[in-house]
Amino acid sequence: MKSEIDLSVEIAGVKLANPLMTASGTCGYADEYADFVDLRQLGAFVTKSITRQPRAGNEYPRVVETRAGMLNAIGLANVGLERFVAEKVPLLEALGLPVFVNVAGTTIDDYVAVAQALRDVKIVRGLELNISCPNVKAGGIQFGVDPEQVTRITREIKSVAGKNILIVKLSPNVTDIAQTAQATVEGGADALSLINTFTAMAIDVEKRRPILGNVTGGLSGPAIRPVAVHMVHRVYTRVAKPAGVPIIGMGGIQYAHDALEFLLAGATGLAVGTALFVNPACLVSIRDGIADYLARHGCRSVREIIGALETA
Amino acid sequence: MSNERLCPEHYLLRLRAAEFPPTLAGQFVQLQCRRLGEQDPAREVPWPAAGPPRLTQAELAGREPFLRRPFSLAGRRDTPAGVELDLIYRTVGTGTHWLAEVVRPGQRLSVLGPLGNGFAVRADKPRAALIGGGVGIPPMIYLAETLARAGKQSVAFHGARTAALLPVAVAGDAVSPAGRPTPCVEPFARADVPSVVATDDGSLGFAGMVSRAFESWLDAERLDPSSLAVYSCGPEPMMRAVAELCLTRGIDCQLCMERHMACGMGTCQSCVVKIRDDTPQGWSFKLCCTDGPVFEAGRIVWA
Repeated sequence: MKSEIDLSVEIAGVKLANPLMTASGTCGYADEYADFVDLRQLGAFVTKSITRQPRAGNEYPRVVETRAGMLNAIGLANVGLERFVAEKVPLLEALGLPVFVNVAGTTIDDYVAVAQALRDVKIVRGLELNISCPNVKAGGIQFGVDPEQVTRITREIKSVAGKNILIVKLSPNVTDIAQTAQATVEGGADALSLINTFTAMAIDVEKRRPILGNVTGGLSGPAIRPVAVHMVHRVYTRVAKPAGVPIIGMGGIQYAHDALEFLLAGATGLAVGTALFVNPACLVSIRDGIADYLARHGCRSVREIIGALETA
Repeated sequence: MSNERLCPEHYLLRLRAAEFPPTLAGQFVQLQCRRLGEQDPAREVPWPAAGPPRLTQAELAGREPFLRRPFSLAGRRDTPAGVELDLIYRTVGTGTHWLAEVVRPGQRLSVLGPLGNGFAVRADKPRAALIGGGVGIPPMIYLAETLARAGKQSVAFHGARTAALLPVAVAGDAVSPAGRPTPCVEPFARADVPSVVATDDGSLGFAGMVSRAFESWLDAERLDPSSLAVYSCGPEPMMRAVAELCLTRGIDCQLCMERHMACGMGTCQSCVVKIRDDTPQGWSFKLCCTDGPVFEAGRIVWA
């Protein structure tokens, strides 16, 4: 590690020692990876989705590997708000990192309840709104794909978030992700994280049946990285940069090279997800690899390369 | 160290590590089924100073899987040269075919583990029956050694579709067609554990399911069910038959379950097993990787 290199970044007022964080749902509540990686080396920790009530999740099989990636249909399995605060928050406090809690729900009331309960938890510095999975109570329209709904839910959660910054996680399953990004900014989002997984399928051709118990799942891993880099670039140039809203970029990051693509495309923060299943320690090698790159390019701060893509 | 073919579908992979944490029979490791080191520096070094990572032809051909693959431990030896781990795998998909075709002595592999919980050796049961089916037999080898050291009197039952697919060395002429235990399976005989072989097609030993072979042994022995502990690993229909038999006869039984999984560390939440409990619906999802893979047979809710 080059000690003279400044890796620190700021996400809407929350200072991070470096841009790296865990992608929601791939890192549990931090204790699971204790034997495999020192998570204190990260900039921030993002939890698995929390819902108001505990959720058991979907039927097995829940994952299947596809070329250069995987599909998952876990079904937001989590311990629920009450146990999260009682059992998991103390573990996260021991970590000593800013924590962003990913919040999911099936109704706006669910989101509001979780957001209110986390207002006074000191270690929690932000909420990451998961509006890529659930359905609205009336109509069943996905929150994350209808710009008007996105603005409305963002505004409602923002009004009860208190000290916590509001990060909205965007779905790539839309015609134009810049449009949803714009809708969250209008609703008062402090930061954007993108991208969530792509709705996808894998089929057992012999049995003529879907492989996943849930029929469809979300595609993640290296396979989606080029699309994710493009979406970060598009949202950065059209929405985030003009509005001054930082982006947390994710989607198939596995090596420092991949992380650098996201930084150059306009991401301030970086989340690593699926790659953690293979090697949790890759977080540290990615961080060190970014520092090496900056040294090689004569940069003193990682902030010099955020959005530094040259297209002319 | 070595990667030798045991039968048309099974291979024995011997690994040596300078050091490795303590392990138990029933635990598993997550193996990366892809090249490491010199052939592909971009994958394992943080960021090559020379330039961007380059994709290898193998990766482009899609023959190397991205996720790790879980394998139960078939044995462990602590030697002056390091810790030796035995893994026996069956060639079923991309990862295991890659292992069979590519891995040669001297090659380095990335191993994550030990993961999961091992079998709990029941101190109060002087006798043990080990029932393995197909690729569920390997953890039984490790367990046989453990039970021998604990002074238990064990018998092993091995099932396969056909004789040619048994993942262990069998002295064919020593096998009893009637299902009587004999020292016919080498790794078990070494631990003084006699074996019964059962094949579905009757090509060797007892003709029929291994659970049936176990049942007829049980009837012939007439032993006190409270003196016996059963440990089993294999295809689910086989384990279910073993579990139901043990439940009926009041025999303590532990099963080592198999699930597709991504991480093996309890984070991806994919390897769920339905386990009976006192919740209103009567069961909860438990994770095969960190809550198991060994579960009490009576608590499993079968699909």
